[in-house]
Amino acid sequence: MRWVTRSHCHIDRAACAWLIRRFIDEEAEFVFVDDPDEMPTDATPFDMRGVELGHHGGACSFETFLHRYELVDPVLWEIGKIVHEADLADERFDAAEAPGLDVLLRGLSMTHEDEQLLALTAPLFDALYEYKRRALLSGREPS
Amino acid sequence: MLLAYRLPREPSTPRSSLWRKLRRLGAAQLLDGLAALPLDARNREQLEWLADEVTEAGGEATLWVGELSSGAQERELAARMAESVAAEYRDVTEDAGAAQAEPPGQRRRTLARLRRELRRIRARDYFPPPERDQAQRAVEELAALVEEQVA
Repeated sequence: MRWVTRSHCHIDRAACAWLIRRFIDEEAEFVFVDDPDEMPTDATPFDMRGVELGHHGGACSFETFLHRYELVDPVLWEIGKIVHEADLADERFDAAEAPGLDVLLRGLSMTHEDEQLLALTAPLFDALYEYKRRALLSGREPS
Repeated sequence: MLLAYRLPREPSTPRSSLWRKLRRLGAAQLLDGLAALPLDARNREQLEWLADEVTEAGGEATLWVGELSSGAQERELAARMAESVAAEYRDVTEDAGAAQAEPPGQRRRTLARLRRELRRIRARDYFPPPERDQAQRAVEELAALVEEQVA
């Protein structure tokens, strides 16, 4: 399937792309557009204004994905809190990881093109997933 | 960048949520229903999401990219925004000073709170006033004091 989003990805789009490839569509192909009018008609838009897979009710696009695709894995919701705070910083959640992740993603988006950015951030989100999975299983922060 | 919006009076939750978010971004409220932020990629995106939120809540919102017609007015607006964060920095400086007299445990908690507060203010500080360095120094002094009592 083809997916489309705005170019110059930051945390929310990078996290959504990772989520799509890992949990929704392994074969996902991403298109990045500068202008929403250039959107290809055969691609599913996300993290863009006025689309279903965007911000809704104060939630970021990553959280919207979790809702719409009924992804109930609690580890993903933990990651959702971090993405939300890194993207919006509205203190809806307490996510100490968010400011650091936000800075890393901003730096990466300054130094890399979107495709490269997704390739570099996928292992980051995999790592975050594994860490949070172990933390949830053991009930404490993994060493 | 300007967000012009109109929201129904009731329910009041979307109004206060929007107000809180605009405040956190450091927007200048020019009129009732008109907020301004310096134009950059991040502010643009954040305002776009807020505009959508207004629409979802049954209101109307439009985004404008504009400039003030005179340099003097521009400086006045920048000064107004700087004064608003300066007041927040002054509170931090004052709290950091007062915390020196607190018992050690409480002092450490105050330090953590002030550091968070400082980070929040810096994120919406587009025209840094001299108060920023003062607040930074006051918090560093408090940190040194907390370090000392540990050693």
